[in-house]
Amino acid sequence: MVVDDNASNRELLLYLLRAFGYEVEGFEGGLAALEALRADRFDLALVDVLMPDIDGYEFARRVKRDPDRRSIALVAVTALAMPGDREKAIAAGFDGYIAKPIDPPAFAGELARFLPPHFSA
Amino acid sequence: MKQFALMEMSPDAIVVVDGDGTIVFVNAQAERVFGYDRQELVRKGIEALVPERYRHRHVAHRAHYEADPRVRPMGADLELFGRRKDGSEFPVEISLSPVHTPHGVFTVSAIRDVTARKAVERELEEKNLALEHANGAKDRFLAAMSHELRTPLNAIIGFTGTLLMKLPGPLTPDQEQQLTIVASSARHLLSLINDILDVAKIESGKMEVFVESISVAQEVGDVAGALKSLATQKGLRLEVELPDGAAGLTLRTDRRAVHQILINLVNNAIKYTETGSVTVRANTAAIGGKQILALSVTDTGIGIPHDVRDRLFKPFEQLDPSNTRRFEGAGLGLYLCQKLSDMIGGSLSFESEPGAGSTFALTLPMEP
Repeated sequence: MVVDDNASNRELLLYLLRAFGYEVEGFEGGLAALEALRADRFDLALVDVLMPDIDGYEFARRVKRDPDRRSIALVAVTALAMPGDREKAIAAGFDGYIAKPIDPPAFAGELARFLPPHFSA
Repeated sequence: MKQFALMEMSPDAIVVVDGDGTIVFVNAQAERVFGYDRQELVRKGIEALVPERYRHRHVAHRAHYEADPRVRPMGADLELFGRRKDGSEFPVEISLSPVHTPHGVFTVSAIRDVTARKAVERELEEKNLALEHANGAKDRFLAAMSHELRTPLNAIIGFTGTLLMKLPGPLTPDQEQQLTIVASSARHLLSLINDILDVAKIESGKMEVFVESISVAQEVGDVAGALKSLATQKGLRLEVELPDGAAGLTLRTDRRAVHQILINLVNNAIKYTETGSVTVRANTAAIGGKQILALSVTDTGIGIPHDVRDRLFKPFEQLDPSNTRRFEGAGLGLYLCQKLSDMIGGSLSFESEPGAGSTFALTLPMEP
């Protein structure tokens, strides 16, 4: 799943992931994404940090608190770059952090680190 | 008494008291400063000139002074106030001297009204606070802007990336070439934004120094590798020179800072050189009993004119304003390098001969 309130950011990640052969769904905000997690299984969530309803950190915290959804891999994708942001992400429950602007050719490789072993692009 | 005639002319307010604190003499300035005629003050206790709430303490101070009368300023760390005839108060500085006479020991106090000076001090303090506040706001603004500016860049770099990867389909040579230009401009814009953010971070003291052991050979190699194609495109040789035994040379420092400085210096060297070479060297030396490492970048480029040398490390200075079309860049590079170098305890220097080339060097201490 891709969670980002900015339409072009969402569009970019959805396009790239589909081109790499993944099944993806996009969400405008954390609350809608949390709802979707109740119904469907997702293996990986790419989450923006600054969002209007709940921010990325709160999304991660809620996911990690839920025993049913905890297994999903969480990656923060954000333009925030002040010192301490990476640590905040890890502390909230993210498995990793990819900086925006993303580099499309390198993106597939970066993503592979976070996917469960049985996946291959 | 004759001594008092001199004090009459003093520009400071002078008040003389006897051993009991009774005023025996005041000069004309004291009359002016305190708003009394001297007849009103002579034979009065000195405490009349002290605000009521401090009188008790003043009596104690006097007794203390009488026990050991010396020439000294009165309570340098105390906030002292004088009281005028009309009851108003003003801040003062006082110095005391004992005078030994056949009639006993008298104390001469020179009193200075420091209202003006205190006002200036307070204004300075307020201005400093406002400046700190403004700087904080500026840094927060820069951080927020940097984030705002990077977000649309994500779409620009991202989609030119997918197009150049030909994911939506094949490209004609013209399309590919034009997209490449868009992509490289976007990356240039990104590096400017990152530089601005870095400068803001350093200046607000938020840049963290992360010290680790780095391999000098690897670091220099990485930088040369990253910029090799840029040099070759211009027909320049990019060479690396390491001292014998450099393979094992390590340095404890912030790798990202060193990397950024070197990349900047080599980039500049390539930018300002039309023919010839850019050489990156690592040298060690012992200066003043300390081991130092010098990482230098030498080019055979256009050099730096003498009149520009002082402004070189200031932000937003271009070598030659008329050259702006030829040499892109907002000119934050050297300024940032200087800040980064300061941050890791190094120093940045350069030598240059207009027309012959330049050498920029980063010197770092090698701790045992």
